[in-house]
Amino acid sequence: MNCHEAAARVYEYLDRELTPEVALEIERHLEACPACYDHFEFQRAFLELLARRGAAIRAPEELRRRVEELLHKDQARRNTAE
Amino acid sequence: MDSSADEKRRSFEAEALPHLDAVYRFARSLTRDAQRAEDLAQEAMLKAYRSWHQYRPGTNARAWLLTIVRNTFINQYRRQQHEGTSVDLGEMESYTAFPEVQERDPEGKFFDRIVDEEVLRAIEELPEEFREVVVLSDLEDLSYAEIAELLGVPVGTVKSRLFRARQALQRKLYEYAVEMGYIKARAK
Ligand SMILES: [Zn+2]
Repeated sequence: MNCHEAAARVYEYLDRELTPEVALEIERHLEACPACYDHFEFQRAFLELLARRGAAIRAPEELRRRVEELLHKDQARRNTAE
Repeated sequence: MDSSADEKRRSFEAEALPHLDAVYRFARSLTRDAQRAEDLAQEAMLKAYRSWHQYRPGTNARAWLLTIVRNTFINQYRRQQHEGTSVDLGEMESYTAFPEVQERDPEGKFFDRIVDEEVLRAIEELPEEFREVVVLSDLEDLSYAEIAELLGVPVGTVKSRLFRARQALQRKLYEYAVEMGYIKARAK
């Protein structure tokens, strides 16, 4: 595997979507190629940023309360209808 | 009180409600508006509750709920808002910020200085096809196969959209970091 082929699979590798055989080929390349190793780590940092920042977005408390209330009401209405 | 209705609510509360944050985040990325996102999330949760008997226990409840969010959005919300300009996904150039920062910040430490709201804004600026895959993969951690099923497209399409979406997002965030002085632009 060369640098170009490794770079084309960087996200599939980080997303753990490759077969074990191909993942192993990538790892062999990364061990032998510091430039690709750094690039992969950089992309990993980028994806971790997205996951971390994304997790900070939470449903507002008001929405949570409204949804719970809605379930109560919906169930109550169905119970009376039965 | 009907015990099967009790049971239904208990299982919904245990398995679906914990994903409300994910439902809201996806609704937010689709509508790009906090108020509309709340309405969409609420409506999707009610629909999910009413069709909870269709959910197959043991499968990914988060993916199931996000499918309902998306269907609800497509049916009722998208028509009301302006369609974003459709981009030719094939024509976007390949990009990575790595060569720009390789010598000064190869670990991408400048990313840590970018605040939540800015990341969200950058995601919201992406074309819809890109936004969806980034949110489903990077925020909600769905597999390529789950995303493909949710969007009704082949896995290969998910793969290529995700690749390009992340590149576009990385470019935006890098340019933003340069603008904010978190990292200096490379001397040309
Ligand atoms: Zn290499």
